[in-house]
Amino acid sequence: MPRSMPDAPTLLGAAVKYLEEELMPTLTGYHRFKTRVTINALGVIRREAELRAAQAVAEALRLAAILGHGGELEALSAELAQRIRDGVISVDDPAMRAHVRQSLADALTINNPKWLER
Amino acid sequence: MSDTDFASRLGEVVARRIGAPGTIYGLQRLTGGANKTTWSFDAEIGNRREEFIVQLSSAGATDQPNPLADISPHITGDQDALVMIAAVRAGVPAPRVRAILEPSDGLGPGYVTERVAGETLGPKIVREEKYARARSMMTAQCGAILAAIHRIDLAELPFLPYQDAAQLVAAQYRVADYYGLRHPAVELGLKWSAENAPKNPRRTVVHGDFRTGNFIVGESDGIRLLLDWEIAQSGDPMQDLGWVCVKTWRFGGRGPVGGFGKREDLFAAYEKAGGARVDPRAVRFWEAFGCVKWAIGCLRMGMRGIEETGIERCAIGRRIEEPLWDFLTLIDGRDE
Repeated sequence: MPRSMPDAPTLLGAAVKYLEEELMPTLTGYHRFKTRVTINALGVIRREAELRAAQAVAEALRLAAILGHGGELEALSAELAQRIRDGVISVDDPAMRAHVRQSLADALTINNPKWLER
Repeated sequence: MSDTDFASRLGEVVARRIGAPGTIYGLQRLTGGANKTTWSFDAEIGNRREEFIVQLSSAGATDQPNPLADISPHITGDQDALVMIAAVRAGVPAPRVRAILEPSDGLGPGYVTERVAGETLGPKIVREEKYARARSMMTAQCGAILAAIHRIDLAELPFLPYQDAAQLVAAQYRVADYYGLRHPAVELGLKWSAENAPKNPRRTVVHGDFRTGNFIVGESDGIRLLLDWEIAQSGDPMQDLGWVCVKTWRFGGRGPVGGFGKREDLFAAYEKAGGARVDPRAVRFWEAFGCVKWAIGCLRMGMRGIEETGIERCAIGRRIEEPLWDFLTLIDGRDE
């Protein structure tokens, strides 16, 4: 089956444009607030679709370098978490700290890019 | 209970406990949750109209069993009132309690306080030009208010729960495990907190949620009232000085203290107002651990989002990295 058109980003863009440009100006109070939160959530979805796949590849590579073996991203991340908890990796470990910092920056780029500027 | 029933019972309470005739005007619900509702009203006392708040707690009737209830123990509505009464006596601008409800009042547990006008919304207070004068006063006010809270005699409030820093960190580990969270940044935050928890601190009354957003602020006089005493506890007083600096509560304002002030000005005001000597390292610990605690709070809200309040709570789940980023910035020494 051919891929459905228009593609997901275009469809999402059209939905956000309607909410932002046509619906929002007609709203006040409760629904204005909830719609603002909804528009932000759709922005998160858009950025995640655009950015997450490449971030995940880089994240898995960093984790493999720290842990000394490869694997699925979720499993590698859980293993690093466990090593931190068990004290096998120190809280001062520079490679771990750099990895955590980069992973948080990646997530913020999706969830709330403005936080990085504050 | 219908609204008219409620109004007439409330009127009787006011007449009996505060002053006759107790006629109620403008009763309106301000906030309501599963356990607690807040109403605002005016009442005729003698030949004057006075402004009040009534807070009702629903005695846990509709409360679902919560496996994490003991993580941040809430004191009950009546105890809440007792803490505020002790705080007012110590010179703290806490809500003035005018009546504590009794079973014979037929309204359930709760209390009536005087209502104070002003702004509570953090973003307005820290950013709007009309609050510039207030902001210039608020750091010194925070220092003086905290010094007064920390001087309250703990023996007056024996029901306040006590947990030291290590126990508070252990409680947050339990929340993370309850949700099956395996997150390297959260683990880093918890491990760092466990390793850096201050030992043998002083033990005082701690407000527990002392921050911008819980202050009622006036344009010309700054902090008029400190709200939200329901997680008051006994603990390390430095906890309150750290929590007010957590970046989330700066609401984009300038200055690490609440979005309006400098840490050293807060510490100086606290000491000048008779607070004990400030330990900046302990304050920094509480700010850093506060970030980790709030990150786990985001997780909790995000996880119960769809069942409870939908999109808004879900979106808070996606804020988990903000305080973790602030935590790292703080322990890296890159913060302001």
